[in-house]
Amino acid sequence: MAMRSQIYEWANLAVSGSNSSIRRVTGSAAVAISPDTDTDIFIGGIGNNITKPAETTATQFVVIEDIATSPWNGSAVQVRINTTDYFQNPDVTDQNGIPGLASPYPRGAPSTATGTDNVLSSFSLYPDVYVLPGQTWSVIYRCRSTVSGSSAGTTTGVAAFVKYTLYDGPDALIANKLLELGVTVNPNNVDWYKRTLIEQQHSAAVSGGTQ
Amino acid sequence: MAMRSQVYEWDGSRDTPIAAAQIGQSVSIFIGGFGNNITKPAETTATQFCVIEDVGCDPTMYGGSGAAVTTGIVNGLRSYVQVRINTTDYFLDPDNIGNDGIPGSASPYPRTVAVQPTFTLYPDVYVLPGQTWDVLYKFYEGTPATATDPSQAFVKYTLYDGPDALIANKLLEMGISVNPGNVDWYKRTLISGAHSA
Repeated sequence: MAMRSQIYEWANLAVSGSNSSIRRVTGSAAVAISPDTDTDIFIGGIGNNITKPAETTATQFVVIEDIATSPWNGSAVQVRINTTDYFQNPDVTDQNGIPGLASPYPRGAPSTATGTDNVLSSFSLYPDVYVLPGQTWSVIYRCRSTVSGSSAGTTTGVAAFVKYTLYDGPDALIANKLLELGVTVNPNNVDWYKRTLIEQQHSAAVSGGTQ
Repeated sequence: MAMRSQVYEWDGSRDTPIAAAQIGQSVSIFIGGFGNNITKPAETTATQFCVIEDVGCDPTMYGGSGAAVTTGIVNGLRSYVQVRINTTDYFLDPDNIGNDGIPGSASPYPRTVAVQPTFTLYPDVYVLPGQTWDVLYKFYEGTPATATDPSQAFVKYTLYDGPDALIANKLLEMGISVNPGNVDWYKRTLISGAHSA
């Protein structure tokens, strides 16, 4: 398939006694996270990780459509493309990104770790974030107060979530073309562009046949 | 009917309940041997086309779990559902390795006011004629199939059969999304073409 809906979920859970693990493991325990430090949810060395940074090849195009995190402990998630943070303050200085209180994961999670309320989303990521071919991207988790691990008196679990669509092969070329045209890259518009190409081919074949 | 909206609900507590020993292992919700099952793998015939439009499973809630529970999971099993077509997993990690699939926290089943979906399966997943497909359930924590932590999964799909499956294939060739509206549109186009001829 050339267009695929994809997700990645991260939690501060790793095999007991370790800070991180590749993929999810059973028998895991919560890992402590220091405040105001960047944690890459893919390769940050905390919780479940993957083997290498998230990056697009020359024939891939990624559209990030949603990000979310646990609302408590002042959690926030930032999108980083190569070395540039996507979300900035109005004075063009760095910020933590989208607060979990604005984009909670799961939707309906409480506002505090032991709360009983339900926070709904105040934020939708639109326009989407584009990761062009050959770029590296990451999602950075930050908290404003310490997330306690399993060795502390209390244990706190935090999670983050990213939803994206991966365009591969010909569909990635079309995505690039749409970007050039200033048209939003989404599955509908990629389909529309394909139909346009087919119609052009048909009309060219018809006009060639009538000459 | 040649286009039919279909659902399949799996309850891990039925028949042979899913056991704690299955932790970390993928279990087919159709023929996995746990919960309610069907008689054979889900597959499309040469004249069928299947579009999977939604999957979900029991959600997990993270938070402050106290000192006794070291996971920081307040409730839930840390459950996931993956779609597999023939032998290929649909959902991949960014390093191109198949992952566990959609977390129940992102696509909860059932949806409640307290836990709402973060994820919609779009674009849909197509199962072409002659393919076998499966939905795999996996959990990582806790004791499954209990009253407090039920193991449940859900899949919603549309089955196109006969002529409508042919049209679905044609739409796929044309790069048009396969959905009942577009199949109807293609039929109308054929009919109006036949009338004008």
